[in-house]
Amino acid sequence: MLTDREVISTLEMLKNEHLDVRTVTLGVSLFGCASDDFNRFTARVFDKITRLAENLVPACNEIGDKYGIPVVNKRIAVSPVAVVAAAFGPDDMVKAAQVLDRAGAQAGVDFVGGFGALVEKGAAPGDLALIQAIPQALAETNRVCSSVNVASSRAGINMDAVAEMGRVVKRAAELTAARDGVACAKLVVFANLPQDVPFMAGAYLGVGEPDAVINVGVSGPGVVKKAVDRAMASGQKMTLGDLSEVIKRTAYKVTRVGEIIGREVAARLGVPFGVVDLSLAPSPQVGDSVGEIFQSLGLGTIGAPGSTAALALLNDAVKKGGAFASSHVGGLSGAFIPVSEDLNIAASAGQGFLSLEKLEALTSVCSVGLDMVPIPGDISAATIAAIIADEMAVGVVNHKTTAVRIIPAPGKKAGDKVSYGGLLGEATVIEVKDHFGAEKFIALGGRIPAPIHSLRN
Amino acid sequence: MKKIIVSILGEDRPGIVYAVTRVLCEEGCNVLEASQTILQSEFAGIFLASMPDDLTRERLQQSLEEGLASLGCSVWLKDFKAGAYSAPGAEPYVITLRGRDRLGIIPGVAGVIAGFDVNIENLRAITIKDDPSQVVIVFEVAVPKGVHRPAFREALKWKAEEFGMDLGVQHRDIFEAVHRL
Repeated sequence: MLTDREVISTLEMLKNEHLDVRTVTLGVSLFGCASDDFNRFTARVFDKITRLAENLVPACNEIGDKYGIPVVNKRIAVSPVAVVAAAFGPDDMVKAAQVLDRAGAQAGVDFVGGFGALVEKGAAPGDLALIQAIPQALAETNRVCSSVNVASSRAGINMDAVAEMGRVVKRAAELTAARDGVACAKLVVFANLPQDVPFMAGAYLGVGEPDAVINVGVSGPGVVKKAVDRAMASGQKMTLGDLSEVIKRTAYKVTRVGEIIGREVAARLGVPFGVVDLSLAPSPQVGDSVGEIFQSLGLGTIGAPGSTAALALLNDAVKKGGAFASSHVGGLSGAFIPVSEDLNIAASAGQGFLSLEKLEALTSVCSVGLDMVPIPGDISAATIAAIIADEMAVGVVNHKTTAVRIIPAPGKKAGDKVSYGGLLGEATVIEVKDHFGAEKFIALGGRIPAPIHSLRN
Repeated sequence: MKKIIVSILGEDRPGIVYAVTRVLCEEGCNVLEASQTILQSEFAGIFLASMPDDLTRERLQQSLEEGLASLGCSVWLKDFKAGAYSAPGAEPYVITLRGRDRLGIIPGVAGVIAGFDVNIENLRAITIKDDPSQVVIVFEVAVPKGVHRPAFREALKWKAEEFGMDLGVQHRDIFEAVHRL
């Protein structure tokens, strides 16, 4: 017999607090598809993806219905294409992206991640070919997402790759200028990229992963916010420690949903269950915001002094609660602060309360990095590279994952509005204080060595 | 060994279970299983007990009535027959209706449930503390394998819409997974 509290609380989470499974991502290994014959390669890739993903969407929908919890997105993550298609040049890489796009369409998913490369210590011809192909590939496809790992705590920062990615981001934006540079919304530059992230645009299936795997990304910032609000309104004196406990318990409940649904989808598809990524991932819907949690904690807005401390509390409490809820926790697992994807964060940035500098500070304590940040279209490739380099340094030195998904808005300047559509949201272009440029620094290239404390043996 | 079902209804107060079980014990009946519910001011209890062969129902009924006279409870006795209803492989679901309370919701929904040959294992109505006009009616049911789930869901949805209520139909495991360790 269920108690009244169990029933009401679960219903509230679903109906009013936007509890859902944000994504179920099927990882598909493409290593077995390798060939030096491009047509044979693409035929194998298309066949494998569509075959394994055939029942992904129906299974997710059915299991979502069974438990009354929607699986909002179904996605696919493949092995890094730079490795699988290493024998091919940039033009073939673009064609490979189109094959991934078609396979994704057939499977009924909204994104296919893995069109990426891992170049933290150096780039092989395949990596360079893929990176060169990224702008066109992302401009010409709808579903393909790309992530490039340019740094790691063990290897240091590949500044040649960083410089190149600055140019790639700018070119991708230019190719999609009519849509506010939306290709860049599908491109992320990483430090310490985990190989089992279910969220886009970073998702890919790493080396050492099984042939196919189900990874789940839960969500639930609305649930956390409401739990904090209830605690604050309860009449009891709440300290930050008490609120951390409230968030922890709520993160547990949210993660349990991901665990039970992920396991069942995996069992239904006959595929191993990988991890639950228990990140608080917002969406541009009212009540589904991470930014609002800051206000619930007593800050005027995200970006105000106190935000970094608040985010540190939130990120840590989420990890602790979620870790207990799942047998295998992985991916990014923490709080996301994507600017355009969160109504509250977008508003705060638009009103000038959240600057690029403060965002960078926040990334030192939260899950991801500079995410979905629109910047003026005239910012140079070198400055973009320098912004990337800064974020990579935060990740490398602190042994955490950081990433940059910035979107130059061609023809727009700070204060102008941009809109990407759907879950990608809309926002105001953020000012980049680029008074002196970074050309000379970035032109030096080479590798920034790994920090001394990475010598762990 | 004979078994008997003893059903007790009456105003709730301390002493009922003692009175019932004392009489049963004096008559040589062992309580095998028991279940009780308190709803507002009313007590309802069901006891499954073994009966010695030489004890008659009439005598047990009389003893219980005498023993419970001062408490104002009614007693019904019935011979126990094992295994009346069962649905092997049934899955536990939780059907919830949320909205303004109105006449006829429960029989309306219970009718749909019965129409699909689904058994209700628990039913209650919960009033929302912050909003007394809202009620949540919860049916915990066991859905046999043969039931066509989408059709069941659809029929419930129609009925819920008729009464202007929000419907939820969820497998019970999700409630336990989220709230129980």
